[in-house]
Amino acid sequence: MSQDKLPQPLFSAVLDELIPARGDALAGAGALGLGEYVEAQFGEGAGALLPALAGLDDLSRERTGEAFAQAPSGQRGTLLTEIAGAFPGFLDGLLFHLYAGYYQHPQVMEALGLEARPPFPGGYPLAMGDLGLLDAVGTRGKYREV
Amino acid sequence: MSQEPVDVLIIGAGASGAAMAWSLAETRMRIVCLEQGGWMNPADYPTNRTSWESERFTGPFSLSPNGRGRREDYPVNDDASPIKISNYNAVGGSTILYAAHFPRFHPSDFRVKSLDGVADDWPIDYATLEPFYDLNAQMMGVAGLPGDPAYPPKQPPLPPVPLGKIGETLGRGFNKLGWHWWPSDSAIATQEHGGRAPCINLGPCITGCAQGAKGSTDVTYWPVAVREGVELRTHCRVREITVDDQGMASGAIYIDENGEEQFQPAEIVIMACNGVGTPRLLLNSRSDRFPDGLANSSGLVGRNLMFHPYAMVNGLFEEPLEGYKGPAGCLIISQEFYETDLARGFVRGYSAEMLRGIGPASTALWGMSSGRLPWGAEHHSAYDGLWDRTAGMVLICEDLPEPENRVTLDPDLVDADGIPAPRIEYALSENSLKMLDHAVARGSEVLRAAGAIDTWSEAPLPPAGWHLMGTARMGTDPETSVVDPVGRAHDVKNLFVVDGSVFVTSGGVNPTCTLQAISLYVADHIKKNLATLFD
Repeated sequence: MSQDKLPQPLFSAVLDELIPARGDALAGAGALGLGEYVEAQFGEGAGALLPALAGLDDLSRERTGEAFAQAPSGQRGTLLTEIAGAFPGFLDGLLFHLYAGYYQHPQVMEALGLEARPPFPGGYPLAMGDLGLLDAVGTRGKYREV
Repeated sequence: MSQEPVDVLIIGAGASGAAMAWSLAETRMRIVCLEQGGWMNPADYPTNRTSWESERFTGPFSLSPNGRGRREDYPVNDDASPIKISNYNAVGGSTILYAAHFPRFHPSDFRVKSLDGVADDWPIDYATLEPFYDLNAQMMGVAGLPGDPAYPPKQPPLPPVPLGKIGETLGRGFNKLGWHWWPSDSAIATQEHGGRAPCINLGPCITGCAQGAKGSTDVTYWPVAVREGVELRTHCRVREITVDDQGMASGAIYIDENGEEQFQPAEIVIMACNGVGTPRLLLNSRSDRFPDGLANSSGLVGRNLMFHPYAMVNGLFEEPLEGYKGPAGCLIISQEFYETDLARGFVRGYSAEMLRGIGPASTALWGMSSGRLPWGAEHHSAYDGLWDRTAGMVLICEDLPEPENRVTLDPDLVDADGIPAPRIEYALSENSLKMLDHAVARGSEVLRAAGAIDTWSEAPLPPAGWHLMGTARMGTDPETSVVDPVGRAHDVKNLFVVDGSVFVTSGGVNPTCTLQAISLYVADHIKKNLATLFD
């Protein structure tokens, strides 16, 4: 596994590009530390991301003179789009694990107005709602007699 | 190794096996149940963790037995079916992962041939099962609201699950169209019931209920049955039901938790293995006397497999709906299109079951797969337009029996104990396809009426093979059915089947409460006729 370890900070910069910071309220996905989570989800398959990541850095140096992590922010999206086209499937699995992990992250849950906790044991309060809406339904029709 | 003989051997500790065990316990007969799974630990359920959403898709709580990788599950070759099997093997069976939606069959569901000229009538009717529906509702702890005009009068023992904002929103949509809707009958303890804690609206019931409020049979029937003396042996997988010289079932050979082969002699054998597991075991129980499989003189074991073809329709709303709170699958049912109206272009009908919304991670994953959630600079603004703004429904279409839809034994695939696995051959009928089209259109219509600004759908829903029915059908004629009207195999006097296999037709509702009512009805027959049962 160690030989396939994903290169930081390149991977973190990629994640920040995929889910950027939400203003000052929330850091991007890389800065939030999602890299470790995503890499763990891929397990031994994480190495499959290496060619695309290496290609991304090469492309960035070619176009901007800088590694991707240091490239001008306005150009990173274009570079990532281009490399995704050159490595079909690169973003599909990456986005699946990233989205799943990011939206389970405590700071992200709080930013959405949720408590940063699992559903159990706290649960959630929920109002019964207006059962008077059924008044009209109760007088409509009847089940089919046999 | 042979065990001590018992009076009753029940195979399977799921919905119907649990009800049978509990009911027979009062006889003080020696009763053993063999279950290939184990007891669940509620602390293991995903809602104990913030990763509860992603755990739905892979790992030990995903719906597909082929994807879970648990030794307790057996593989299913469902390559030849557009609908894939979803089940669970444990004490509680598939009730561990079910949504706990608990609608009864309608009286008309038992008279399909007489009313609509298709399929067959059942040899029993709603009135026969009604007292057992009521008894089962008490035992499972059913929440609901009396007065539903779609049914004969019934009195759910617990108040309904909350509508919440999402239910009110959808209910107004139905009212705008003048369509039927009603709070779902749900096997969810909305108050303390039978020692179970009340529902606290965790959300995803279908990965197990950490609160213990959902009526899975490991927390309803089984604790009582075990206390009453039923012996429940876990991690025991039955390979074959054996027969004696008279053609009576003599017991079962099974693989125990240590991998050792055992023989359990029994006076009565009761199968409760679901609509795939039961035909699999019967077909695996070949002998000189029953060369085509046990109880299969009709050739119908495994045939007439019925799922419920599902459609899913979702809508996007402009306002937050608080949809992530509350039992995800239990909210509102509509049976506006349940009965036959030939003007629609198909016979029979369907239920629409409203779903609550989805969690934050599921919202993102759905947004990704639907192309609504880009990565990059527009990500957050797009997500804000999706989060907590979805509501939808599943539409459960009645599936009519067709002999070509069937369970057989796969020639190559085996489970962890080397026992041949089931193979599914299933195709959707023209009637089902037309019904699905109608359901999608009407589902979209009511979501729009409720205020949805966009809708989308999927039909048939591939991973929706939850309801497994018809593969050992009930009837009076041994040439056209496998079991008689009290669940006894026509060919084997002391062999009973009480799971969804015995269904003659599928109805357009979730089958759990009906198969449990049948199990209690068969148990009642056994208890009342013990002295003459084999005459």
